[in-house]
Amino acid sequence: MDLFSAMDVSGSALSAQRTRMNVIADNLANAETSRTPAGGPYRKKEVVFGAQPVPAFAELLRGIKAARGGVEVLAVVESPAPPRRVHRPGHPDADAQGYVALPDINPVIEMVDMIAATRAYEANVTAIQAAKAMAQKALEIGR
Amino acid sequence: MAEITIGPIEGPAPLPRTTGPARPGKSFGETLSESIAQVNELQKAAETAAQDLAVGKSKDIAQTLIAIEKASISFQLMMQVRNRMLEAYQEVMRMQV
Repeated sequence: MDLFSAMDVSGSALSAQRTRMNVIADNLANAETSRTPAGGPYRKKEVVFGAQPVPAFAELLRGIKAARGGVEVLAVVESPAPPRRVHRPGHPDADAQGYVALPDINPVIEMVDMIAATRAYEANVTAIQAAKAMAQKALEIGR
Repeated sequence: MAEITIGPIEGPAPLPRTTGPARPGKSFGETLSESIAQVNELQKAAETAAQDLAVGKSKDIAQTLIAIEKASISFQLMMQVRNRMLEAYQEVMRMQV
């Protein structure tokens, strides 16, 4: 049924927004992390969304795949912003001048991103509910 | 002198049958049982998704609920079709003879 592909598209968006939420939580948790396994301070991560590839015309024609679209997380990239330097002479990761390199993460920006992710998630849930309501309205024709 | 062979006159080509199925396709029964099989597949998918979520194999609540909703809507559609068919049958059975 075609309404189901609308639900699949919104479902892919729900998964993508959940990944975004995980990345934001990771950024908030590591806002003060000065040491990582890779070396240096933690770096802010950001998700890159991409439209899901539309299947080839031949596949569409033969009905192997449906043209549905959707979104997917292409990559989680690290921000190239230089770390901020905070004067903490007693810190074990402090350099010769007593400065510690901390990730360039602004908790306020992370909170705003979190609100945006939550709202986007809600919007997609509403889209799924609308698709469902449409299907059920269509079933009422026969009632 | 070249010989010209004249073939026998053939009878008229058989006309396409007007009765029976207009084109070779699936019968209503086949279509119906295919649809019911699809509904069954969606029900199975929903059950698997719910099971995976309960066991912890999957952590995607949204996809699980979408699978359950799909199963529910397709089942409702199947029930509507079944009700229509049964009504038609009963209508025929009530016919005065």
